[in-house]
Amino acid sequence: MVKRSIKKYVWHSTVFLFGCFCCLLIYIIYLQVIKADDLASNPLNQRTTAVEADILRGSILDAKGRKLAFSSQVGSRSYPMGASMAPVTGYIGEKIGNAGVESFANRQLLGLTENLSRLGPIAQLFVSDKGNDVKLTIDADVQQTAYKALENHRGAVVVLDAQTGAVLAMVSRPSYDPNDIEADWETLNKQTDSPLLNRASQGLYPPGSTLKVMIADAALKEQVTDLQEVFNCTGHLDLGGGYILQESHGAVHGKVNLEQALTESCNITFATLAMRMGATKLDNTFERYGFRKKLGNEIIESMPHLPEFSKLNQGDIAQVGIGQSELLVTPLRMAMLAAAFANHGVIMQPYLMDEVITPGGIIIEKNQQRQWLQVTSPEQAGLVDAFMEKVVLQGTGTAARISGIRVTGKTGTAENSGGDDHAWFIGSADVRGRKLAFAILMENSGGGGTEAAPIAKKIIVDLLEK
Amino acid sequence: MRNKSWLLMFFPMGILFLGIGTLILKKNLIGNSEFLPWVAAVVVSAFCLQVFLQRKRNLLAIWIFPLVIYFSSIGLVMIARLKPELFIPQLRWLLIGMAVFLLVVKYADRLQEFLSYQYILGLCCLILLCSPFLFGTEIGGSRNWIVFGPFQMQPSEFGKIFIVLFLAAYLSEHKNVLTLPSKRFVFLYLPPLRFIAPLLCIWGIAILMFVLQKDLGSALLFFGIAVFMTYMATGSRSYVFLALAFFIIGAVVSYFLFGHVRVRFAVWLNPWADPNGQAYQVVQSLFAFGTGGIWGTGFAHGHPFFIPEVHTDFIFSAIAEEFGLVGSMTIILAYFIFFYLGIRIAMNCKRDIHILLAAGCATIFFLQSFIIIAGVTKFLPMTGITLPFISYGGSSMVSSFILAGFLVALSKKENTGG
Repeated sequence: MVKRSIKKYVWHSTVFLFGCFCCLLIYIIYLQVIKADDLASNPLNQRTTAVEADILRGSILDAKGRKLAFSSQVGSRSYPMGASMAPVTGYIGEKIGNAGVESFANRQLLGLTENLSRLGPIAQLFVSDKGNDVKLTIDADVQQTAYKALENHRGAVVVLDAQTGAVLAMVSRPSYDPNDIEADWETLNKQTDSPLLNRASQGLYPPGSTLKVMIADAALKEQVTDLQEVFNCTGHLDLGGGYILQESHGAVHGKVNLEQALTESCNITFATLAMRMGATKLDNTFERYGFRKKLGNEIIESMPHLPEFSKLNQGDIAQVGIGQSELLVTPLRMAMLAAAFANHGVIMQPYLMDEVITPGGIIIEKNQQRQWLQVTSPEQAGLVDAFMEKVVLQGTGTAARISGIRVTGKTGTAENSGGDDHAWFIGSADVRGRKLAFAILMENSGGGGTEAAPIAKKIIVDLLEK
Repeated sequence: MRNKSWLLMFFPMGILFLGIGTLILKKNLIGNSEFLPWVAAVVVSAFCLQVFLQRKRNLLAIWIFPLVIYFSSIGLVMIARLKPELFIPQLRWLLIGMAVFLLVVKYADRLQEFLSYQYILGLCCLILLCSPFLFGTEIGGSRNWIVFGPFQMQPSEFGKIFIVLFLAAYLSEHKNVLTLPSKRFVFLYLPPLRFIAPLLCIWGIAILMFVLQKDLGSALLFFGIAVFMTYMATGSRSYVFLALAFFIIGAVVSYFLFGHVRVRFAVWLNPWADPNGQAYQVVQSLFAFGTGGIWGTGFAHGHPFFIPEVHTDFIFSAIAEEFGLVGSMTIILAYFIFFYLGIRIAMNCKRDIHILLAAGCATIFFLQSFIIIAGVTKFLPMTGITLPFISYGGSSMVSSFILAGFLVALSKKENTGG
């Protein structure tokens, strides 16, 4: 009797402990099944980085297969083209993270197309210790030529293939050497000229007169003017309310039509056109040209900054017409604008990553070229393109003229709060059967026609010689 | 079946060989073949011991030793992977453990005589537990070690044995008195103070360990075993309530008095408040469980070294990372089966003292593995204590073998009804 009761109590305790056991079991299942992904991908979990540290990172290649970044052994990374290619390749460092292609193509470079690391022993069959190569659209020749052409100016150059959207060059100065990034990190961060900023796609600047190509197209589309109308430029325009818009450098263009106004970059004409269109139509134009549409792919960009059109007064609207006011855009966006006119009114989706190639040479990802936006009709694009050719032949952009080569362009001299004017030159050129669209920006360097246009010429000439 | 039970040893031995093989292929153990004779010695002793144990036991006992070797193999393989320099010491401890185990099983009859000297057992337990107060050394944040020369030992590991022996002897003899309801206190029925004094004494020591040695795990273990064995002997819920009240008061008081208790508690409630400081170990342990997922990263392919001291208290996290849910479930299940075998052995015993001893041994294994597994998974606050047979540590290995020896000894035919 007594014995039976002891056994009974032992049994009670066993049942109770079995209950505890079940709770723990359920909790561990919860931890390793339901919470597993959260825990595994927690940024504080260093295991992900540790897994990556064991993989020999793939190379970054340019369009012709030249190495822009490679690892000869696990943990080391070399950038043979150094600072000129830094805005493209970016960098990678244990303590500083990563940027550029190293950042957005991280998974591809590590060969982690699927997360197989938690499949136990099976995972070991699939996990390679060598990552994939990433082939870019960048042409190292174009990139290096543009980098050299900028000399010591702060600024950026973007070169696109207007017909495909391939980014051929993305230059930003001052730059940094990604080979020594970890050693230089603190100095680079302290430098006031922001060498780590990729000005080409992330620097925001007022577009100045380069925007007039878009305004010209919009004014024709909205029928606020035609090709015959003659504007009288007296050197100043009364905007009402005591504000008078002055032509830059005190120029007086006299009687001009739209073509002449663009060729001479007449502020009075374009301010007038902007005011005729009014806030709503201007707003629609920026919308139509994709200034509010994200690129939505691997290219990391700063979105253009547009003014709040509904709150603009007449003076501000006039300023928007000449690319000033609160308007801020990136050189990449201006190259895309130039590409639209060079490519029958179509902007192709800009892209940087062309192919992902396994160590065995198999292409596992390939970019599909596609249209991003049709911004205007082919006829009207041709018209503006012809105006832009005139700019180079006899207007403000003659410094970019090259005999025997069709070059189009538009200069810009953008006023800004930071000091001297920014020099702009956007346009296109037919180089060896390809239509290259470009945007050149030089911070606080003065006039676009005198400073930026010669850079375009240098780049094009250099490419013709290569 | 009985005569073939040595075949059971192939399973744990397979784990050992495959594990060592993997590590050699992964070059974790390369240039060091000194461990081979030790491994051979372990394998041979394990098979011999199992053959020896087959005789004169009931069917339950056959499973105990293979399970023990299963845990030990996993422990050995994990230690070889996590801390190769401790692989040979752990093999040595395993051999010593098996020798002690053999002695306990062989001389169990004579050892039984000690059970008559219950107060001496209690005193031994008391001395062992209090010894670190006098000549203890603080290792890993707990003052529960004694160091003589090259040897270190954790007296609390051996205190475990004596407390089970003492409680079995004391409770089986006094359970009638203890169940005698003499005084009614609110809804609790309590016997005169002199009868429950030894129990209060144990609970008091547990609290003291908790506070003075910062050894929260052992304190919880001693406290738990005392409560469970008292309940098993008396079936009185009053003791359980009393103990819980004691525990809660103790916990609350120490929470307000001692910083380290507050820290443990805060870490348990919200480890994400300070994931790189106080909660670092627990957070890293949780990451190990998450990274492991269902199938694990594969043996020797994980990164368990982010957890400090992973080869002792946190060895279960490393197993969960590399073997996944599959591995962690298997081990927890094996511990429960081990516990259940112990309870079945207890149920087959005739004498009260044997029932209590077997049930006590089984329960203390269960509690110990439960407390540490619950701790590393943040199910309960983390309390540093070893995972029986798996964690590195000589004291833990030897004392666990002694307790397992008791279980096998108690399954002897003449003790049992079957």
